[in-house]
Amino acid sequence: MSGVAFIAEAVGRGKTTAATVAREVGARLERAAPLNATLDWSQAVLNREAARVDALRQGGGALPLAGVPIALKDNIVTTDQPTTCASRILEGYVSPFDATVVHRLRAAGAIIAAKTNLDEFAMGSSTEHSAWGRVLHPLDPSRVPGGSSGGSAALVAAGVVPAALGSETGGSVRQPASFCGIVGVKPTYGRVSRYGLVAFGSSLDQISVFGQTVDDAARVLAVISGADRFDATSATEPPPALEPARRDLTGLTFGMPREYFPADLDGSVRAALDHTAHSIQQLGGSIKEVSLPHTRYAVPTYYIVAPAEAAANLARFDGVRYGPRHVGPEGDVRALYRATRGKGFGAEVQRRILIGTYVLSSGYYDAYYRKAQQVRALLAEDFRKVFAGGVDYLLTPTTPTPAFKAGAKTADPVAMYLADIFTCSINLAALPALSLPVGRAEGLPIGAQLVGPMFSEGPMLAVAGALEAALDAKREVR
Amino acid sequence: MSIRREDVLHVARLAELEVAEGDLPRLVEQLGRIVQFVAQLNEVPASERAPAFLAGPAAVRLRPDEVAPDRLIHGIDRFAPEFPHGFFAVPKLGAMDGGE
Repeated sequence: MSGVAFIAEAVGRGKTTAATVAREVGARLERAAPLNATLDWSQAVLNREAARVDALRQGGGALPLAGVPIALKDNIVTTDQPTTCASRILEGYVSPFDATVVHRLRAAGAIIAAKTNLDEFAMGSSTEHSAWGRVLHPLDPSRVPGGSSGGSAALVAAGVVPAALGSETGGSVRQPASFCGIVGVKPTYGRVSRYGLVAFGSSLDQISVFGQTVDDAARVLAVISGADRFDATSATEPPPALEPARRDLTGLTFGMPREYFPADLDGSVRAALDHTAHSIQQLGGSIKEVSLPHTRYAVPTYYIVAPAEAAANLARFDGVRYGPRHVGPEGDVRALYRATRGKGFGAEVQRRILIGTYVLSSGYYDAYYRKAQQVRALLAEDFRKVFAGGVDYLLTPTTPTPAFKAGAKTADPVAMYLADIFTCSINLAALPALSLPVGRAEGLPIGAQLVGPMFSEGPMLAVAGALEAALDAKREVR
Repeated sequence: MSIRREDVLHVARLAELEVAEGDLPRLVEQLGRIVQFVAQLNEVPASERAPAFLAGPAAVRLRPDEVAPDRLIHGIDRFAPEFPHGFFAVPKLGAMDGGE
């Protein structure tokens, strides 16, 4: 078993069957159990998925993902497995409908392999905030895999599946992709339907893709993209065309924003990015220093907008409509809400609901939420100007450091929030971006981030393909 | 501005969130630091009339108002304990304590 194209070709041409792939994936999921990366999977579900794919194949249609096992972050709803968002408040919840991405993956012949562990309701950068325990980094169990889509990232990095879906609100796919040494693609806001993604920050959320390689991620993204009548925010642009990796980067200009290379940037990250810039030049591309002057306000802006939207979205989890119910001591309905939410949500989710409620509360709305939306417009304008000034893509580090130790940031929420410093402004500006592994430091992967203009995923992935071929991602940078 | 114990309790009430007494000191301290952190935005000059960011298209697209199948795998009757004559039966308002 190998990449997406290899499996789809082998199953599509009848060289092997989806049932064989399903057995192999089951064995790999068993072996990967110590990572704590999954919240639900079973050989029975895998076999059922495989039987459906083998029947589809005999029906004769073209299946771009024939027999390809794909893991789903457990905030994407499925009808045949629970969807918990790693929260006690949704323990045992089974959706009455499948997410649009699940429909599209199945119609393309994919096998839904597992529901993966995450930071509760996708709030976190380390996958330590799960009601079912932390996910271990596949290369070093004392470290975090990043988050919030850490379970999906760990399964791809451990070679259990060639691709997986996560979701991004502030970097929750690119950051773990960088930590785990795999490819993570955050599409343009609206590129992929969010019908069936449990909402966190609705002006930011976007289902995103992990792949072992650029090609793996590109093939999955092509299948799940496109307008959806169930999601009014989905864009009408056609899915990104699958473009072959470029052979060279001649004629392309890559901007390196000086704000993303501060003096205290980790030395190994800086060395890996210098090496990447050198490779771009060797491939014929040019490098230009640029400025995104509002960058330092991105994280504070994000930590107003995202919690405000989360406080509103998570109001629906009240013990009446979903999941377990705790009756309060007074026996009235508000006591029921408070008891259910107080016992059902974990500490980080409660913190964000409280912050979001605070910034939206009477007397504070203009000072915080409105101001943040104005600064967000300035951040987006920074990117627009750079792209209008002749820059094709931006090159930045994905994260300030390689994967950090478990527990290193759990006591200090602001330190954890700063793990998203290079990713969250891209979500705020609704742009597409990806993280590509470009080197290692003491065995730990380092990712470089490419950012492009709206709906530039196709050509950006072709650029990433050229860099992937030119760079040795396992090379030690110092 | 600093966050006080009363602020946390007030916001928790607004958010319908039960906060344990023992968690209050930690929440006061952490929320205080987060609010101080996000208050950096006050440094950015922006007039009251500066535009706010809009995610997605500037205008909502209208689409034909057509009845189309939903994706539910079971009937809506399964969403409630009682579904007589095609309606959801719910307790009378104010009768959550079991009274009529």
